[in-house]
Amino acid sequence: MMSRSRVVISLLVIVAAIVLQTTVFAPGRIQPLGVAPALVTLAVIAISPHIESEYLLLVGFTAGILMDLIGGGTLGLWAMTLTVVAYAASRFKVRFPDGPGFVAVTVIGITVSSQLLYVLFGTLFGQGTITEPRVLANVMIPGVWNLVLAVPAFWIIGKMLGSHQRGWAT
Amino acid sequence: MFSSSGRRVDRVTILFLTLVAFGFITATFDVRSSGGGVADVMREGAQSIFTPFQEGVDWVTRPVVGVVDGVANLAALRTENDRLGDRVRELEAQVLATDALEEQVAQLEAINGLQVPDELATVTARINASGPSVFDNVRYIDKGSKDGIVAGQAVVDEDGLIGRVDLVSANSARIRLITDQLVAVSVRVLSTNETGIVTGRGGGPLRLEMFRAREAVSEGDRVVTDGSRFPPGILVGSIRAAAGAEVGFVLRAEVDPAVRLSRIDYVKVVVGWSPIDAGLQDEDTLITTTTTTVGGG
Repeated sequence: MMSRSRVVISLLVIVAAIVLQTTVFAPGRIQPLGVAPALVTLAVIAISPHIESEYLLLVGFTAGILMDLIGGGTLGLWAMTLTVVAYAASRFKVRFPDGPGFVAVTVIGITVSSQLLYVLFGTLFGQGTITEPRVLANVMIPGVWNLVLAVPAFWIIGKMLGSHQRGWAT
Repeated sequence: MFSSSGRRVDRVTILFLTLVAFGFITATFDVRSSGGGVADVMREGAQSIFTPFQEGVDWVTRPVVGVVDGVANLAALRTENDRLGDRVRELEAQVLATDALEEQVAQLEAINGLQVPDELATVTARINASGPSVFDNVRYIDKGSKDGIVAGQAVVDEDGLIGRVDLVSANSARIRLITDQLVAVSVRVLSTNETGIVTGRGGGPLRLEMFRAREAVSEGDRVVTDGSRFPPGILVGSIRAAAGAEVGFVLRAEVDPAVRLSRIDYVKVVVGWSPIDAGLQDEDTLITTTTTTVGGG
């Protein structure tokens, strides 16, 4: 599949992730333990083995800008955060054949790190995110839900973007 | 091979650093412009694009999500049922007390020649989406500028104040919840009749600060809007724990929000009142008072 097609499909996946995040996983809907998964972060991780690293960075940045525009925070914070996620994901290019342990550690590690990074950016830009009462839960729990959702997310995104050998982008 | 790979890594890293720097500049620009200007135009555009998708997905998934959520929260529903039963009994008692108070107020108004303002006009809306991350204290409703909604209007439900309209497009609007750290509400503690400011903390209880308080507040004291930014008398919450007033110091207390923000579904936007109206009313009152004084002299 052409790289351009994969990028377009990746962006559609990101839009779908944002729509699901803001509707199905909104407060008052499906939020076990009161915290939603970080679907967009998971989508960027799951897309990483299928497109080139440069495109992945652009997809991550675009996903972040969209989240900033739809969310209530400062414009640019999620853009920076998801660019870092894309950069980290482009290094690991995690796939299920790598083994469940590696996938689990990578998904949880990147998700929790991204939530923590957003908290730090939010605090740096005056949102006071670090002083929120549930900050620890908001940082940690999305990592667990992302791990649970990793199996269907990797499978669906893998089917949409087709098989791709590691190293194709490098 | 090595040099080619090395060059590739460099290109990726340079792009990464460029994008992060661009994000940093964007954030700085947004903070400096206080979220207005180009950024708001972009937000309204994004909101307009996403709203149809969100409404569609919400329409399709709401029944299924409701069932899943109901099964998952069966125990919580029983507790909620008990809580609501207690609340109904409490409200029945309050209604009896309120009837007597209404009669007294009517008598006082008749004596003082006051005019009771008509009930504030509201627009009922449904919440169809939230912010995309756990750190967003915003909700989207299915009514917008076509329905008379403008930024700054108060949003309430049957329990009390939910937040204020923050961003409006033609068919939808964004509400910033009272738990958001950017929202501050001027309030009055009913038991002491003293005023203060309630601010959000991103979740959990709100923070109350009273700068000229002379009396202490007690647990359960009700806190309502004082009418400077939002219509007066809307219940904001109740004091979580007693706090004393010390001369020269700020009285600080925590306030439990009256509304259950994780469970709101339908809301009312108060479209029939704005701080400008309040200002005009104050001005009218001032003119009347002045005229009376001159006439009386």
